[in-house]
Amino acid sequence: MTVQDEIYQKLSSAFSPESLNVVDESEDHRGHAGYQEGGQSHFRVAIVVPEFAEMSRIARHRAVHVAIGPEIIGRIHALTLDINS
Amino acid sequence: MTDTNTQIKETVTDNEVVLFMKGTKSMPQCGFSSRVAGVLNFMGVEFADVNVLADEALRQGIKDYSDWPTVPQLYVKGEFVGGCDIVTEMTLSGELDALFAKEGITFNKEAAEKIREANA
Repeated sequence: MTVQDEIYQKLSSAFSPESLNVVDESEDHRGHAGYQEGGQSHFRVAIVVPEFAEMSRIARHRAVHVAIGPEIIGRIHALTLDINS
Repeated sequence: MTDTNTQIKETVTDNEVVLFMKGTKSMPQCGFSSRVAGVLNFMGVEFADVNVLADEALRQGIKDYSDWPTVPQLYVKGEFVGGCDIVTEMTLSGELDALFAKEGITFNKEAAEKIREANA
């Protein structure tokens, strides 16, 4: 399973997102810091979770970090989050 | 508290605005750090920059301090504000201006408006 699939699976089982999109943007960062051969280093997540409505930006991000888990976050170089409720 | 924790606490207490980043404000070494430093520079905000790549203990320590797994990290008056995504969203929504105004941090409102116009 790719890291992209792992992130998708973690997020879709932790929340019931109204929409969820996980993009591996590693190739856009070729030559930059953190790029590794084979990609799977830079990700962009767009997620819409209605339950996040009452939460602060920091709290929403923390919830997503927890759901993805320290193991995956420790393995990748960059994670861009676009979180909405 | 560990030495690193104490060091971070002092840094964010002694400086009104602090950016923990990869590289320095004049030579950022990561696109995300570069973006946040760029916003602050453009808005004319005086801030202390701390290069986490120069200190391995700090690189991990800042993540433990804020319970936040990524760098850059912006602090205003000792409070953690967010990383690149949050700072970008707050810049575009005007929340960052409001925070600086509330905390008495000098910034250039026109420059902030220019960023918003350019990203409208």
